[in-house]
Amino acid sequence: MAKNSAAWDAKPKFPSSHYVDSRIYTDQSLFDEEKEKLFKSSWIIACHESEIEKAYDYRLFTHPTGVPLIIVRGEDMKIRSFYNICPHRGNTILYDPAGNAKRMTCIFHAWSFDARGNCIDISRGEQGYQDRYCKEDAALREVKAELGFGGFVWVNLDDASCTLKEYIGPALDMLEPHMQEPMEVFHFHKATVDTNYKLWHDTNSEFYHDFVHYFNRITGMMQPGYFDRKYVGYANGHASVGSMEIKYDAYAGSKKRAVGWPGLAPGGWILIDIFPGMTYNLRTSVLRIDTVVPLGPNKLVVEFRGLGLKSDTPEQRAERIFDHNTIWGPFGRNLHEDLLAVMGQGRAMREGTDSRWVIHGREENSTIHDEIGMRHFYAEWSKRMGRAAHDPFRQGHPDPARAAA
Amino acid sequence: MTMDQRQQIEELVYRSSLALDEGDFKGFLRLCDDSFRYSVVAFSPEIRKEMTWLDLDKAGMDTLFTNLPRHNSDHSPLARHVTVYTVAGSGDRADVVSALQVFRTTLDGGGTGLFAVGRYHDTVALGVGGPSLLKRVVRMVTREMGAGYHIPL
Repeated sequence: MAKNSAAWDAKPKFPSSHYVDSRIYTDQSLFDEEKEKLFKSSWIIACHESEIEKAYDYRLFTHPTGVPLIIVRGEDMKIRSFYNICPHRGNTILYDPAGNAKRMTCIFHAWSFDARGNCIDISRGEQGYQDRYCKEDAALREVKAELGFGGFVWVNLDDASCTLKEYIGPALDMLEPHMQEPMEVFHFHKATVDTNYKLWHDTNSEFYHDFVHYFNRITGMMQPGYFDRKYVGYANGHASVGSMEIKYDAYAGSKKRAVGWPGLAPGGWILIDIFPGMTYNLRTSVLRIDTVVPLGPNKLVVEFRGLGLKSDTPEQRAERIFDHNTIWGPFGRNLHEDLLAVMGQGRAMREGTDSRWVIHGREENSTIHDEIGMRHFYAEWSKRMGRAAHDPFRQGHPDPARAAA
Repeated sequence: MTMDQRQQIEELVYRSSLALDEGDFKGFLRLCDDSFRYSVVAFSPEIRKEMTWLDLDKAGMDTLFTNLPRHNSDHSPLARHVTVYTVAGSGDRADVVSALQVFRTTLDGGGTGLFAVGRYHDTVALGVGGPSLLKRVVRMVTREMGAGYHIPL
């Protein structure tokens, strides 16, 4: 029987850990709070070391909190990160998304900075500021940057944060043996979609949605081993799902992958979600990395990277590019479906639609269609936000600590 | 190259766009030589590299078109607006450069917006039966296309 208003509003008949209030995907005040409580102090992937190989190479990155960052390799080959904001009149210093700049000069009044964040020139400084303000006063704001876990450049806006190693813990241990060889980014694209960033991360945290890839189920869901894959949750909200062998040749017109990946079984697939919005996705011949950059409660940019091995021959690289784009390119068969699915959620749950609850209730012994991955995420979300995901406005539980528990 | 040949080449490019707009994929492939190759490429200023987003031979395109209806996909139609800029021919083939604008019309309400811009770089075989497509490289200027699309541009 269809539900009336009261039944629609009633809490789902699950433990409170098994559903969330859909307002966590739509409320502007919660979104603003997430930027401060989740993203500001989390380690976030800004780029890969292969994007800034040479001294003075730089890359721009908009941090999920909105802060514009420069990632730059110094003459000492150390990678540092700074706000892309001139300390003079608040202008943008670098505009091109990547490049090489021995001096980073603001076009507005020609103040210049080096790759260590020092101000090296204030145009007509002495005439204007005399001895009241000098280059030493005009350094860039530096942000913590660390290199690790496959050669990625991670940044953290919180000067008092834990180290990257402490943040990740053992979450990427399953992938570490496969990330010992230097890698290289060969693919980058952004997708701007009307949805909440958590809904994208949710999709990377559950495989029950393989039904959206209806025709592609033949390569995975309908093959032996699929339902043996297990989720493992780690501290800080990270989670992984174990490997299986993907039968690419079962898809009409496809063939087995011609190249593999160091240490990975043929057709292997490992996926690891890093809180609050990054995913390592190693699938047979390609490593895909997702990084979410939320623009609002219902507006999201996802940065997609595809990586191969630096040692690839041209033929091997061509195979990896083909494999990547067949599944994950902008015209690939899977990514389009995944993005459509989360856009559908954004459309149905946007402000004012009277959506109410989102259920994460599947229990299948932590295997592939169990929704424990999402439950693990929202337990961490609730802890960091001081709000329970099922009751974010504390309407049912006045004590935030109790509600989060 | 005669004016008549040039006109036939231009019509081939336009017919190929019409076929794709109409979802007449068999009709599109009929305009292609057996050795046809199709690719979508773009330069990424972010990673400072050329990228290939799709690269298929005629059989691969046929498979892709066959499998398209079996996938969940954005059903809002695309309209390709193509203008042939240059045709440079020699002997049995011609190189054709066309401007490409692709518009998408929403199913609900019918609002139309620009989806992507780029260029077709076509190589055309000039046979006795008329011109056919040997190669199409779609060089994208637009690199951000939301959820993407299942149908080649």
